[in-house]
Amino acid sequence: MMGRCLSHKVGFQMESQKINIPKLGIGGPVGSGKTRLIEVLVPVLKNRGIRCGIISNDVISKEDAQRMQRTLATESKLMPEDLIIGLATGGCPHTAVREDPSINLAVIEEMQQKDPSLDLIIIESGGDNVMTTFSPALADYFIYIIDVSGGDKYPRKGGLGIQTCDLLVINKIDLAPHVGASLDVMEHDAKKIREGKPYQFLNCKTGEGIEKVADYIINDLLFDKELVKNTSKLSR
Amino acid sequence: MSTEHEFHLMQLSDSFFPSGMFSMSGGLESLVNAKKVTNWKDVQNFILEQIEFQIFPCDCMVLSIAMEGVKNNDLQTVVDIDKKYYSMKLPKEIRNSTTRSGKQVLNSIIHMTNSDSSFLQKFNKKIKSNETPGTYPIILAMGAVCFNIPRKSITRMLLYSFSSSVVSAAIRLGLIQHLDAQKILNNLAEPINKIISQNQQTDIQNIWQLSPLTEIYQMNHQYHDGKMFIT
Repeated sequence: MMGRCLSHKVGFQMESQKINIPKLGIGGPVGSGKTRLIEVLVPVLKNRGIRCGIISNDVISKEDAQRMQRTLATESKLMPEDLIIGLATGGCPHTAVREDPSINLAVIEEMQQKDPSLDLIIIESGGDNVMTTFSPALADYFIYIIDVSGGDKYPRKGGLGIQTCDLLVINKIDLAPHVGASLDVMEHDAKKIREGKPYQFLNCKTGEGIEKVADYIINDLLFDKELVKNTSKLSR
Repeated sequence: MSTEHEFHLMQLSDSFFPSGMFSMSGGLESLVNAKKVTNWKDVQNFILEQIEFQIFPCDCMVLSIAMEGVKNNDLQTVVDIDKKYYSMKLPKEIRNSTTRSGKQVLNSIIHMTNSDSSFLQKFNKKIKSNETPGTYPIILAMGAVCFNIPRKSITRMLLYSFSSSVVSAAIRLGLIQHLDAQKILNNLAEPINKIISQNQQTDIQNIWQLSPLTEIYQMNHQYHDGKMFIT
């Protein structure tokens, strides 16, 4: 996957010589923790010197964008508020990030123009496991996030999101015993269905696993090995 | 008349064409939330009024003038009309969405035609240097000239695309059913054809639009918390 990202980025730069800030797509079902993942990820990246912009595609409101403006800008002052943009998708989040990413691309261009010194642009979009995937023109790296409360069968069910993403994140692991989900089953199925591609267990509440998510992004998308703290590829 | 342009006309009018139109309701969402539009007849009337008082006298006029400018290689006229159109769209969301769509459609046209057309490149340069906004009807005019699409056909396409996107938004808002949507589009055919058959002014001074109530609702849309559409 590193090869794909690298050639994509280099090719794009050679073609137009324009600013091309690396872009990270985060997709996942409603309630899986996409917004929370960004809220815990941005401070970790900031600590390692990485500045982010955020585009949040919402199905029916700008609530996620407004929440991140509050938590990441107003309260913690980690980034300017105008670098967190909410986009309505006409009820079609899959279309907005895959078939017709034009509005997202336009907002990315505006963001790149506004602050060319950004290191990373995060694009969030809701979407089910069957159909969600990001257009390579939109995201250089794609994280799909699910959570244990959907049942431990979730990874086994596959779908474009779970199978093709660059990193599968399994969130809310602290809830597993309460909802009767086996992390061992999820790990076994994730390994099998992803054919060796990485996955990561995460607890956004305590931050367990978030440093490793940051490592993957830095190593596989930003290609900056000096910023990688945890070189271990263990998922738990 | 040659029919070679017809395939390209269909391509540009297809909801699959990447213009971001699927995320816009043209003000319908605000009117539905305010219960000003409550059934399929209201949707049809809304579209007709928008066409009569906004889209035809403004968007279609701008499209025609821009086409002439592109054909005559008159960059200044095209830039002037682009700025004029942008200044006439009072709701911020409409201005943002028309420029975002316009720029991305221009990228598509350049990409799919492998165009080294100096006009397209020069105009693109002006957008990137913020010398012109790059609104959707202007870029559509460039596409029409690129593919030899006649003025009346591209005008019909613009009106159809607008109608189709509003009807589609009405379905997603839960206001109408899929069969009603087709009935509305069918009912719109005659008035749209009639309006297109009028002699179209192509003077920049004659562009107008007047739908203040809808514009107020369009402006209020940006302040709504729960919304599905960009406009």
